[in-house]
Amino acid sequence: MYACIHIPKAEPSAQEVLVAMASMFSPQVEEAGQGTVIVSIDGLQRLMGPPNQIASEMARRGAERGLMGNIAIAANPDTAVLAARHLRGVTLIREGEERERLGQLRISVLPVERETAEVLERWGIRTLGDFCALPEAGVVERLGAQGLALWRLARGQSTRPLRAGAVETSYAERMELDHPVALLEPLLFLISRLLNELCERLKSQSRATGEIRLTLELEGGSEHTRILQLPFATRDARALLKLMQLDLEAHPAGDAVRAMRMELAPVEPRIVQNGLYAPPAPEPEKLELTLGKIRGLVGEGNAGSPEVLDTYKPDAWRMRATPPGVQTLVHEEKAESGVRMGFRYFRPALAARADVRQGAPVRVAAAGVAGQVVECSGPWRGSGEWWSPEQWEREEWDVELDNGGLYRLYSAGGRWFVEGSYD
Amino acid sequence: MFVELHSRSAFSFLNGASAPEDLVEAAARLGMESLALVDIDNVSGAPRFFMEAKKQGLRAHVGAEVTAAQGGRYVLLAENRTGYQNLCRLITSMKLRAEKGKGAAAEEEFRQYSEGLICLTRGGQPIEKLISIYGARNVYCELQRHFDRQEEARNAQVREMAARHNLAVIASNGVLYADAGKRELYDVMTCIRNKTRISEAGRLLTKNSERYLKSDAEMRRLFSDIPEAIVGTLNLARRLDFTLANLGYRFPPYPAPQGETQNSFLWQRVEEGARRRFQPLHEKARKQLERELKLIEKLDLAGYFLIVWDIVRFCRENGILAQGRGSAANSAVCYALGITAVDPIALDLLFERFLSEERGEWPDIDIDLPSGDQREKVIQYVYQRYGKLGAAMTANVITYRGRSGVRDIGKVLGYGEEELDRLSSVVSRWGWRDPEETAEEQFRRAQCDWNDPRLLKFIELFQQIQHLPRHLGQHSGGMVICQGSLDSVVPLEPATMPGRVVIQWDKEDCADLGLIKVDLLGLGMLAALEETVELVREAYGEEVDLAHLPQDEPEVYAALQQADTVGLFQVESRAQMASLPLTKPEKFYDVVVQVAIIRPGPIVGKMYHPYVRRRQGLEAPVSLHPSLDGVLKRTLGVPLFQEQLLRMAMIAANFTGGEAEELRRAMGFQRSTKRMRAIEERLRSGMNANGITGETQEQIIHSITSFALYGFPESHAASFALLAYASAYLRTRYLAAFTAALLNNQPMGFYHPSTIVKDAQRHGLRVLPVDVTRSKWRATVEDKCLRLGLNYVRGLREPVGQRIVEEREREPFRSIADFKQRLVEVHKDELRQLAEIGALNFLGEEKSHRREALWRSELALKPAGPLFATLEPETEASPLARMNAFERVSADFRGTGVTVGVHPVALHRKHLDALGVIRASELKGMRHNSRVRIAGCVICRQRPETAKGFAFYSLEDETGISNAIVEPKMFEANKLLMVREPYLLFEGILQNQGGAASVKVMRAEPLRFGPELIESHDFC
Repeated sequence: MYACIHIPKAEPSAQEVLVAMASMFSPQVEEAGQGTVIVSIDGLQRLMGPPNQIASEMARRGAERGLMGNIAIAANPDTAVLAARHLRGVTLIREGEERERLGQLRISVLPVERETAEVLERWGIRTLGDFCALPEAGVVERLGAQGLALWRLARGQSTRPLRAGAVETSYAERMELDHPVALLEPLLFLISRLLNELCERLKSQSRATGEIRLTLELEGGSEHTRILQLPFATRDARALLKLMQLDLEAHPAGDAVRAMRMELAPVEPRIVQNGLYAPPAPEPEKLELTLGKIRGLVGEGNAGSPEVLDTYKPDAWRMRATPPGVQTLVHEEKAESGVRMGFRYFRPALAARADVRQGAPVRVAAAGVAGQVVECSGPWRGSGEWWSPEQWEREEWDVELDNGGLYRLYSAGGRWFVEGSYD
Repeated sequence: MFVELHSRSAFSFLNGASAPEDLVEAAARLGMESLALVDIDNVSGAPRFFMEAKKQGLRAHVGAEVTAAQGGRYVLLAENRTGYQNLCRLITSMKLRAEKGKGAAAEEEFRQYSEGLICLTRGGQPIEKLISIYGARNVYCELQRHFDRQEEARNAQVREMAARHNLAVIASNGVLYADAGKRELYDVMTCIRNKTRISEAGRLLTKNSERYLKSDAEMRRLFSDIPEAIVGTLNLARRLDFTLANLGYRFPPYPAPQGETQNSFLWQRVEEGARRRFQPLHEKARKQLERELKLIEKLDLAGYFLIVWDIVRFCRENGILAQGRGSAANSAVCYALGITAVDPIALDLLFERFLSEERGEWPDIDIDLPSGDQREKVIQYVYQRYGKLGAAMTANVITYRGRSGVRDIGKVLGYGEEELDRLSSVVSRWGWRDPEETAEEQFRRAQCDWNDPRLLKFIELFQQIQHLPRHLGQHSGGMVICQGSLDSVVPLEPATMPGRVVIQWDKEDCADLGLIKVDLLGLGMLAALEETVELVREAYGEEVDLAHLPQDEPEVYAALQQADTVGLFQVESRAQMASLPLTKPEKFYDVVVQVAIIRPGPIVGKMYHPYVRRRQGLEAPVSLHPSLDGVLKRTLGVPLFQEQLLRMAMIAANFTGGEAEELRRAMGFQRSTKRMRAIEERLRSGMNANGITGETQEQIIHSITSFALYGFPESHAASFALLAYASAYLRTRYLAAFTAALLNNQPMGFYHPSTIVKDAQRHGLRVLPVDVTRSKWRATVEDKCLRLGLNYVRGLREPVGQRIVEEREREPFRSIADFKQRLVEVHKDELRQLAEIGALNFLGEEKSHRREALWRSELALKPAGPLFATLEPETEASPLARMNAFERVSADFRGTGVTVGVHPVALHRKHLDALGVIRASELKGMRHNSRVRIAGCVICRQRPETAKGFAFYSLEDETGISNAIVEPKMFEANKLLMVREPYLLFEGILQNQGGAASVKVMRAEPLRFGPELIESHDFC
């Protein structure tokens, strides 16, 4: 006999509780989808009494855990599942009663492929009872072996064994502290214990992790969550601890910690062999540690690889987090003929005062750059991003000052700047 | 003085952001004496550019940027007519050998078509090559300055090149839009073209907003260091002698037989035809013909008439129904030549509306042909007769309107699908909208985030892009024919449809430039009438001559008077049905009036109600002025037709025929206040001279000015009325044949095929279901009953359907297994569909039911293998239950869209009776102002703009159609229900006066009758 427990619209978190509860009745547990488990109850009768008593016990224990759903007991797993999914409360189907008890269910409860479903719809088959009434040979001839399997399922004659599976390994742990910890060092000691244990689990399953989620439950009742996304897969507890340390130094909890939860996202481990011709590069763990240190020093958004933007706005770029491996900076410049002069950007551009005559600058003064304009060309006009708040517009001038220097000036929003100098 | 010689318009299709007219207007404002338009690979914008330039007093130079196969584009300007012709041939040559929208010219082609063209270069092509193609005198080096540092380097190279080869230098601004404000739209167009979002377009976009049309002063300032570049533009502009005024188009002469001139040949054809058509050929007709022929001769149009006559003759000889429509029906010559079917003399139609000496434009002849293959045959005949380069279809410029703009701009600005749907709903085309609702309210109502900064940009760009061209399509039927080669007049392009060639101008452009166009239009009803005649011949053994139908058939008028008009041409709409019982047509002319009266013109011009009241004898038929009695007598003193308005102007204000036509055009599509005022003054002075003053004068002016805009030509109404009458006559006499033909030529008309079938059944026609042992591909007549064709089986491919018929004729099918075995090409879905709709019920000796057929079909679909191939087919009865009535109706609608069984509403009659719902057929017998409940499936929802928010519903039940009116408030309060529910119950007050019944809805509720079976016809 088999019992099926079905919790309608079960949350993913309830599944674990459900499996755990089912395991209390029998080690023979099959997960038949979200919110559904099948338990073999053969032999339980001597311990717990007749099937309806077992069902009542299951319902009681479920209710204790906040699980409200249907329970069905039948002679085969599939019938138990059908009944638990589609008949409310506790259902007990004795052998031989299947056809009668399932007959009222709509045909859509069967796992039917679209084409077969359409054929049955055209035939006017609305319930399992309608389907069961068809002759076996007629069904086989028309719907083949798959049709026959469905027909048997509808009659409660499925004969498959229970597919009891191993329980998934969890890579999450929670630790409650005896007394609140405010300092980082003792906290790291505890974090290292959690990390060691979880990394051991990863190792036992030949897995690694690509993300650590640490949630610190604070004394004030709030939580402080840090998520470390790793650009590589690892299960090196020491490296992970160091990264966590750097992160917590940069982002302290701000209050004493009374408990913590840690969860590692399992991923396939990294294949360590590098290409024969790949240029030597630091080990990703070490690189990430170094970058972590740099980020801690200069701030989160200030470390990474600069990326030149595809825009006419001069000197526009953004910081991109550095992915592992060697980076090549690619920025296609339109080919220009003729002699090109080197240009040095002043970063930031120097605020300037410019005297303008007939629309052109005649004298410029900025920190370290001042003089009469001897020669100038321009204006060179640019504008863009008119669709966004970053809209910009500027006029540039190339000027030669009386001191012999060649500079690029620009005006934007009524203010003048010296952007840099030509070599 | 600077002249801009390099500007692109929106006709560069997403590569220019201003309409040609806007460019010209801007140039005129800047005081330029001329302007050149060089769109990419086309001259589509040139006619509009030219017409606007003419209006503004500018010279419009023509050119194009032609894509070169080896990369880049040649900027070419036409110096003289030879140059223009070469440009057209060059574009045609490269376009015709490429697929639609593509093509690039090879160097040999540039060489072959170089004479008369001037080439501008910025160094993109090797200068030596350009000089060798066009000659040094015709190559100009072009400098552009857009405040761009890099561009200066290029300009320096161009100048050096010019000096080296001693070439002239000109300045230009490479204009992409008329004013700087359009730069954003141009950027958006760039994104649409490159299928990218604006935030990802990067340097595909423009660097700044400098590519607008700049003034002489601005350009002089920019090129102050190279003044010769400015002077050069004027020198070059003066060299450009060609404008579209000098097009050189000639209509081909008709090849008259030896010893005949075109005129003498035309006289003979008219004489010959007149004797046949006017029986007898009376004096009045003879005089009119003479008058017309003389004018045709004077205007040298004999060739044109003969060419159209030749097309109509081809149709006649090939058994293709053809009927001229529009103003050609005003001409006795057209009638005599068999081009039109209405006797203009009997109907006293106004010839000047068709052709006048003053107008100086070509007459317009539109020919209606049966839609589909027959029309294609005629088009191919014209191609074959005048050569591939001698005839082509006119283009249809597809412009941005409503939703297309929303989607394209929205995507560029980064809106997701869901947001795009919301934005689209704001500009939804269905129905009326409260004019007092602001844009903000509209967008808020659609749950768009009004604070999103993108939204304001979106609205601005959406408005800017409206009416700008998106791409070039093909006009439904306009053909242009040319003596010699059309490709020297306008470039030709391949159409999407194989075997079709399209010119780069649309029909308005052709009319503006004096190109003669013959419209070969496809009309579903003509195809249906033609098929009816064939079916009558086959099934009844009778010959119907559509040209000589008895015009006084009482049954036809009885049907019209009772609004029993489902399936009839032009008089079947809901509005027509509401009007017919009031106007009660009694003779052919009443049908002419009926066709014209349900139009925006009479409704907006407030002519409809006076006419109806007079028709009912509730008002005296008095004209606005006694002098107009003659003109308005036939329409009971109410002006209804365009011709009447023109005549009124002629009589009351002494307008000549040509002046009257000028009046029509002035009030036509593009209304000009200035022209209107001038005409109004002319009307007043004319009427003053005739002593028509005061209130009468005001009334006449009001009726002319408010109505001429929407007026429907009497000749056109008469042509349509002929078809309306013919459809009514054939339906009355040969219901089975007519209904079969209607079903075979769907989609057409106002009603879904299911309504047509139900209506025919109510008229006593027996409609037989699809049956593979009897049905042909198309619906047929079988023992005076209608047999549905296999073409109604959804998902059944035509070749398979044809094979079923062939195979059955070879040997009848013995069983479903035999059917499937002999027709291996039948897919399983097709076989199941046939079984489900009952089309396999009659296979074999005994009639089976549908489920039995389904049971057997499924077995037939599983191949038994060679071992059992010779076994007898299964004879055991199926275990499946028969379908009940509702299942059968559902299966019919799902599988064919129609049912020959009971109406779906009839299945719920008991329930409806219990709710106190009355049948559609009982409505007319109910008391006016009584409170009633009606119900049925919604076959039509309508919310016309002219009805100020009122919505009109047609509900169908098993006894007929009932009509309902929903007030704006009621509609808004129940919008979802009103728009979506397939079955509705209305409760309201019955308005039942003069034989037209409709219910003013007070309450509405949905009826849950199952799936939507009949698709409703929704429009505004």
